[in-house]
Amino acid sequence: MAELYVKPGNKERGWNDPPQFSYGLQTQAVGSKRTPLTKRVAAAQDGSPRATASETTAGHPPTGPPPPSNKAPGLPPVGSCSASSVEPTSLPVIESETLLEDVLRPLEQALEDCRGHVRKQVCDDISRRLALLQEQWAGGKLSMPVKKRMALLVRELSSHQWDTADDIHRSLMVDHVTEVSQWMVGVKRLIAEKKSLSSEEEATKVLTEVTTEENQTVPGFLGAP
Amino acid sequence: MATYLEFIQQNEDQDGVRFSWNVWPSSRLEATRMVVPLACLLTPLKERLDLPPVQYEPVLCSRPTCKAILNPLCQVDFRAKLWACNFCFQRNQFPPAYTGITEVNQPAELMPQFSTIEYMIQEDDLQALKESLQMSLSLLPPDALVGLITFGRMVQVHELSCEGISKSYVFRGTKDLTAKQIQDMLGLSKPAMPMQQARSAQPQEHPFVSSRFLQPVHKIDMNLTDLLGELQRDPWPVTQGKRPLRSTGVALSIAVGLLEGTFPNTGARIMLFTGGPPTQGPGMVVGDELKTPIRSWHDIEKDNARFMKKATKHYEMLANRTAANGHCIDIYACALDQTGLLEMKCCTNVTGGHMVMGDSFNTSLFKQTFQRIFSKDFNGNFRMAFGATLEVKTSRELKIAGTIGPCVSLNVKGPCVSENELGVGGTSQWKICGLDPTTTLGIYFEVVNQHNAPIPQGGRGAIQFVTQYQHSSTQRRIRVTTIARNWADAQSQLKHIEAAFDQEAAAVLMARLGVFRAESEEGPDVLRWLDRQLIRLCQKFGQYNKEDSTSFRLSDSFSLYPQFMFHLRRSPFLQVFNNSPDESSYYRHHFARQDLTQSLIMIQPILYAYSFHGPPEPVLLDSGSILADRILLMDTFFQIVIYLGETIAQWRKAGYQDMPEYENFKHLLQAPLDDAQEILQARFPMPRYINTEHGGSQARFLLSKVNPSQTHNNLYAWGQETGAPILTDDVSLQVFMDHLKKLAVSSAS
Repeated sequence: MAELYVKPGNKERGWNDPPQFSYGLQTQAVGSKRTPLTKRVAAAQDGSPRATASETTAGHPPTGPPPPSNKAPGLPPVGSCSASSVEPTSLPVIESETLLEDVLRPLEQALEDCRGHVRKQVCDDISRRLALLQEQWAGGKLSMPVKKRMALLVRELSSHQWDTADDIHRSLMVDHVTEVSQWMVGVKRLIAEKKSLSSEEEATKVLTEVTTEENQTVPGFLGAP
Repeated sequence: MATYLEFIQQNEDQDGVRFSWNVWPSSRLEATRMVVPLACLLTPLKERLDLPPVQYEPVLCSRPTCKAILNPLCQVDFRAKLWACNFCFQRNQFPPAYTGITEVNQPAELMPQFSTIEYMIQEDDLQALKESLQMSLSLLPPDALVGLITFGRMVQVHELSCEGISKSYVFRGTKDLTAKQIQDMLGLSKPAMPMQQARSAQPQEHPFVSSRFLQPVHKIDMNLTDLLGELQRDPWPVTQGKRPLRSTGVALSIAVGLLEGTFPNTGARIMLFTGGPPTQGPGMVVGDELKTPIRSWHDIEKDNARFMKKATKHYEMLANRTAANGHCIDIYACALDQTGLLEMKCCTNVTGGHMVMGDSFNTSLFKQTFQRIFSKDFNGNFRMAFGATLEVKTSRELKIAGTIGPCVSLNVKGPCVSENELGVGGTSQWKICGLDPTTTLGIYFEVVNQHNAPIPQGGRGAIQFVTQYQHSSTQRRIRVTTIARNWADAQSQLKHIEAAFDQEAAAVLMARLGVFRAESEEGPDVLRWLDRQLIRLCQKFGQYNKEDSTSFRLSDSFSLYPQFMFHLRRSPFLQVFNNSPDESSYYRHHFARQDLTQSLIMIQPILYAYSFHGPPEPVLLDSGSILADRILLMDTFFQIVIYLGETIAQWRKAGYQDMPEYENFKHLLQAPLDDAQEILQARFPMPRYINTEHGGSQARFLLSKVNPSQTHNNLYAWGQETGAPILTDDVSLQVFMDHLKKLAVSSAS
């Protein structure tokens, strides 16, 4: 659910800087909706350009406006009018304010879960970065898209969707690195630690089940004098 | 200002200064008699909402004991480009950036209203690079090993420990060291047993390898993020008129030595990020005096590039060692001036690493190109492979002459190896240390069958390509391709051979040969060779009556070939005029490794036209295709150019696209943008994007590429009314074809 948008390039640093695509657009499966532009026209054997079919008015300045829509045979649209056009499409903003608490609480909870299993220094490091996140959020330094995506990340994290959460963190790092770089690596580590923790728990759970079964099927063993 | 009160207030507003006396007593004695001392109150950072953004460094007086800054009180000789310091009366030369100043075009710091001015020293380029590197940590797989070396005047190898204090080993940037010395100094010992994959099943570190400098991402990402965030510009001050000291040669040497000592023969990339040319130590490309510019093609031709040979040799040595170790070197060079890509190009070209050239790290061109290095395929694997070896086997009628592409020779002799070398020859095996799904090599063969030896009935020649490589998932894979083609007797079956000609592949393969030659031969010689080959091809396969050029015809399978050669001759790969040596190296680097479709785009850019007369269609790359009522999209691989014809531009200016009854005009404007976006989204490296129109200064990108069939010379001779004349003396395709045909049909050739 990463945002799909295109921003113009940095015109101050490079006048011909290409536009910037969001992480979501870049990672989309690049199946071409249009035929790729790779065809060529051969020059006539004597090298002269063939007379072009589209002869315009012989004069130079344009006479009058373009052919209006209803009269002209209508330009056959090139492929489909793609949704990912150059304008950044903002989703209709549902004005439910993303609350800091809703994001911070689950993250702190996740950190608590990890304490005891993960080295103290790592936990402290993560905790420090969560504090930084809180500070920046409360200080109004984070933009709306970042807050929204963080809420999403936290939701995925709480539902144990590690890979999705990881992908959201990546999309934030790519699209909003200036805002998030200081603390996002802590969130990334948290996701990784929770993931490995939960897989350990799964493993031990399975082991316990198997052992319990074994104990049940071989009653004679236990307590045999 | 009627009163002194206004004068005082105005000065406070402008300069943040209030003086006790605003007319100063001229002698010491008198001043003491004034009782109140001559003094002022200064508010240095007084809030000024109207200061112009001055984004350059201040100009200083050259007298070492003065160093006052250029200001409105200085006398200026605009003609001689001199200024007199008003403090010490030293006459100073303006720096080169000020050559355009005149009485009516003055820099802000000379204007009286800017008695107070603030210079902004640009740091955002380094900041942008730091952020890109931090971001890349999120794109790397968690068990990839990373290390960091920073360099300026000194070279620092950072120890990536997980404990609080960050440490680094500092090397002098002036002295090159051998691999052994580097490894000893860093405390690395050679492993006693053969190396395993860097990511083995157990996550144990190899006991014999010091892992202080190379650590897995999942362990040190937080530390490294902080370390990167704290990086500052080189603290060594750069005196005015000097370039910053950059010890690129030593830094790269240490990186190569470090990897050599820790992970030989495992997939690895050295990524070099540089914001300017190497100015110190081995591999320096230019001195640190700004007044000595970096070498141009003109300097090279006149043998006036004093650092070039030695620097090239240094980087070639490093490149070969890196390739032998199975590693690759990427170069990301972002600066407004050249950075030494000419001398360093072997590092990328021989190892299969990437070369990215941009104006600044703070551009989307660099940021997105860099992100795309880490792009993944449909299975979630990185699109990069390491440590490939290519072996070519042929049936006995064929031998291998050589390869042109991002590879090194493995020097494997054998019965299939020809003595006549083309490209990297004398071997049947090559090593490609870094490659991706588009990496393409040109492999050249020699037919060794005796003339008139009988061909077995249904006989076919065969070639087998065996590529062993390390997939990005670390699994080793072997890809085998075996192909066969029929033999034919050229005397009796020339038509068959002709019909099976692939003019596109032939054009790219010949072009690669041409560009390969251009690295060591003079430009005009290469063009002459290329022309010679084209004439001979036309003589062989054209249908014509001797001495009658008007009778000349080429069959369909050759229809595009001459114009490919025509555009190749004008391309930046063979024409170095108008490009810096670094730019030429950059273009040639990409040409020598792209697949056929992209290579053809580079040779002869694609041109598509959008208009109301029909769907988008490819059009001739010719000045006659530039019409007032259409939009053109040109793809040169390195640039995407959208050009609005005169009428379209006027319609757009009038705003018809915003009127609902002209919605189809809106769609017309949008169509090329959408197609351009498709290309921009996928291509590596990211191209530059130019959106221009008739009469725009950037239209020159289009005008310089199209065949100038109509120029100011033949404007009235042609009798065609359409198209835009190009102001050039370049030969047109028509003239080229005329000459070609004359030479082909002539019995004297």
